Amino acid sequence: MQDLDKEVTVNPGYRKGKKKRVKLVQKVSFKVYPGETLGIVGESGSGKTTLLRAISMISRPTQGKVKLQDRTIFESRKIREKMGGRIQMVFQDPDSSLNPTMAVKDIVAEPLMPLKLDRKNAEERVRASLHSVGLDEEFFGKYPAQLSGGQKQRVSIARALVSHPLILLLDEPTSALDAAVQAQVLNLLIDLQKQLHLTFIFVTHNVFVARYMSDRIIVLYGGSVRELGPAEKVLVEPLHPYTSTLIAAFPVPDPKNRNLLGIEVLGEPPSMINPPSGCTFHPRCPFAKEICRTEEPQLREVFADQLVACHFALEIFNSKKTTGGWTQE
Amino acid sequence: MEELLRIENLSVRYDEAGQRIHAVNDVSLSLKERELVAVVGESGAGKSTLALAILGLLPTNGSVTGSILYEGKSITELSKKAWEKFRGTAIGMIFQEPLSSLNPIENVGNQMSEALEVNKSRIGTKTQVYDYSPASKVLLGQSRLALFRRSTRVRNPEVLEWLKKVRISDPESVLERYPFQLSGGMMQRVMIAMALSLRPSLLLADEPTTALDVTTQAQILKLMKGLVEDQNTTILLVTHDLGVAAQVADRIIVMYAGDIVEDGSVTDVFSNPLHPYTKALLRCYPRSAKAKERLETLGGTIPDLKQEIRGCKFADRCERAKEGCRLEQVRLVEVERNHFSRCTLYY
Repeated sequence: MQDLDKEVTVNPGYRKGKKKRVKLVQKVSFKVYPGETLGIVGESGSGKTTLLRAISMISRPTQGKVKLQDRTIFESRKIREKMGGRIQMVFQDPDSSLNPTMAVKDIVAEPLMPLKLDRKNAEERVRASLHSVGLDEEFFGKYPAQLSGGQKQRVSIARALVSHPLILLLDEPTSALDAAVQAQVLNLLIDLQKQLHLTFIFVTHNVFVARYMSDRIIVLYGGSVRELGPAEKVLVEPLHPYTSTLIAAFPVPDPKNRNLLGIEVLGEPPSMINPPSGCTFHPRCPFAKEICRTEEPQLREVFADQLVACHFALEIFNSKKTTGGWTQE
Repeated sequence: MEELLRIENLSVRYDEAGQRIHAVNDVSLSLKERELVAVVGESGAGKSTLALAILGLLPTNGSVTGSILYEGKSITELSKKAWEKFRGTAIGMIFQEPLSSLNPIENVGNQMSEALEVNKSRIGTKTQVYDYSPASKVLLGQSRLALFRRSTRVRNPEVLEWLKKVRISDPESVLERYPFQLSGGMMQRVMIAMALSLRPSLLLADEPTTALDVTTQAQILKLMKGLVEDQNTTILLVTHDLGVAAQVADRIIVMYAGDIVEDGSVTDVFSNPLHPYTKALLRCYPRSAKAKERLETLGGTIPDLKQEIRGCKFADRCERAKEGCRLEQVRLVEVERNHFSRCTLYY
């Protein structure tokens, strides 16, 4: 198997007006291993999408590198083109990511253009790709408007698979779908991952989906990593207060566990233009103390493989342990 | 608790290119005062159509049969003018997309004032339910056109109070801001504040938190729950998210292809779902699934609503479907006390 180590250190700054550079994602570093699913959770504005854009080579990071199998993605145009098909993306909204004027088979064939395959070969790959997502010949000539939400998302997945990628970037692929369809698409993704030994980077705000799909989880807030670790640790016994908030705010489909009405969520996500000082979560954090306002916490390993950027992670963890724990079911 | 809204045998048909779409079929339900009822179902289930029908806001190709009684009075035959009075003051509405529901070229304070003034002038002297502020007394009776002239606009002091009630941060500055300067959560709060400022007894909320982050969603849902408890508002919440329904609703109505298939208290529906569709829907949530284990799914899709379907509409997707299910219209039966299901299993 290929060595899929990848290091991301991005610090893109986008120009806002003429004066200010907005740091959207800061000093984010992580590795992704072959065949695993890395879940990324966080609210809108947390930098999830910016991060995916950097990994998918849509936008160049201001600083830092994205390495795929020891080669830096943006190093040269040649490498970039060569690697283009190796990382593919599935977007949240199939309506805006599928060209409405193209037939399904043409949509799926598009990523093959730069590979310059001969026609027969290309058609074969399109067919195989569509079959692998459970769409048979009757769909090949259809247009996106003739498909249901779930079918459209299958087309998106087929398009991503056609260039035989190593990594699929999944940006909220099921959040626009109904529960029953969501379950079908998640099953499909897991089957594909097993068959094709794919690596997933899965962005979601759904805690259940994240826990179900992911081996490891990254929690992003205000553009930086707050917690990183195994899914069953981070999403069950979270160390960062923000992770706890995210979990507690998620509506559990169980009226006996009305977690959501019991919690107090403070404030709004931080401004990226004038981020709060110190720990950017401090204005919303129930545990914030003086140091949180002045000093930015560094990401440190608190338990084996579980990293957290919070001054008081361990204290909060211990107090929760004694008081009977987490708001989760 | 008194009954506030009663819907009897409501059906909605859309005429589209010569075809009839059976969007809502023979729906009967009643809402009691201070009840929070969630209508759940997949897209295409008829949830939003039901809400629009209650508001009299169906598109022109929609036709309604059956009756809607608000406080015992029929509202289906109201004239256009009477509807305008009724909407907002008796029934308020919050939509999914706050950005497209707010006026982009008017700041928050002005558009909230306008909503208040327009409604007050409509009610006129007939039902004097408000204590008018001096400012609105001046405006009362003036033509609606005058309200649009900025120079004559007087900011209603109530507006600020309502923004505070929905716990918007820094309400004074929000008054001066335009919708694009607000976050999704803040816009939704403004929408809710605007709907509430008219003091409707019934609030219809169509997917009010679907476009929001989970933390904001939690805040808005808590706010809505508080309205029921503190302001005696009755809420009909339309959502596709069973999690949201489970968290806040007193009663759940499950819709499928235009039919009510299950109706019961939130605890009954979740702990003892009766209809095979409700059961299947609940199983689809990956909440207790082990990581990467296969999830249970529900195959098939909602049937084509252009066709008149004999028998149970869910039969094609139902694992327990029998021959008899497709023969005749299935009735909604009270299986347990106050827990209804539309399934031949309970005949």
